[in-house]
Amino acid sequence: MGRLARKRKHKGDKPLKEKYRTKRKTKDLDQIHEDMKEENAGKLLNAEIDHDKPGAAQFYCLHCAKHCISDTALEDHFRSKPHKRRIKALQIEPYTQEEAERAAGMGSYIAPKKVMVETQTARHMDTSEVG
Amino acid sequence: MRLEKCYFCSSTIYPGHGIQFVRNDCKIFRFCRSKCHKAFKKKKNPRKARWTKAFRKAAGKDLTVDPSLEFEKRRNVPVKYNRVLWKKTVEAIKRIEEIKIKRQNQFIKNRLKKGKELRKEADIRDVEKNIHLIKSPAARAKKLEKKLVQVIQEEDDDNMEEN
Repeated sequence: MGRLARKRKHKGDKPLKEKYRTKRKTKDLDQIHEDMKEENAGKLLNAEIDHDKPGAAQFYCLHCAKHCISDTALEDHFRSKPHKRRIKALQIEPYTQEEAERAAGMGSYIAPKKVMVETQTARHMDTSEVG
Repeated sequence: MRLEKCYFCSSTIYPGHGIQFVRNDCKIFRFCRSKCHKAFKKKKNPRKARWTKAFRKAAGKDLTVDPSLEFEKRRNVPVKYNRVLWKKTVEAIKRIEEIKIKRQNQFIKNRLKKGKELRKEADIRDVEKNIHLIKSPAARAKKLEKKLVQVIQEEDDDNMEEN
């Protein structure tokens, strides 16, 4: 960092109560699994221009439920650690209330299945826009 | 009255206990206590938190597949009250619970057996490796020396006799 002071020292420096407020709630993994279904994914990836969203809702990462401001930002995001971590977390069936009940002794245990998840192809929406 | 199960730790939630969260897609999440609720808010994975039932089942710590686990079910069909049936059911519940606990305990006992064997093997290996701490290698050399001396002496005696 050198002589220059580092910015954003207080990022995420909040009491838990504030951090986990319901209004700050992001999508859960099971909701993202729902989004990954083809009919929903198409809608999210080819969204209409919405100037209230970052990047006018044109650069969306499906797996992290995140809007990027530009194509390069999205590309950078795909190469980032949080994104890779998220992809890994999505590669197993989401946890459900049914699983909780089975674990509690209501029925035998069923191992969660693996799901193939890969990063969306970045040019997906750009080509559709141009074409 | 319905006894629900906690979304996070799978414990039973009795009426008047815990808290429930309704997500904006109408999905209901019930929690038995603030510990579970907080863990959910932090997006912790119940399969990875070591203290949950889901972890214990996934990691093979508890009995997972057994016919005794198939009795307790969410039954959404109401049954007309029948005194005989009621009495029999209560008796059956007690008996099943007894069998279930016995089997679960047996499962854990069997699971722990492996560790006992491994520990014993490790102990033996440890002793063999560090035998010099118990018995000095020099002591053994002295004993050997004594034996050699005796043998030589005997040989000498034999030679003397021959001569």
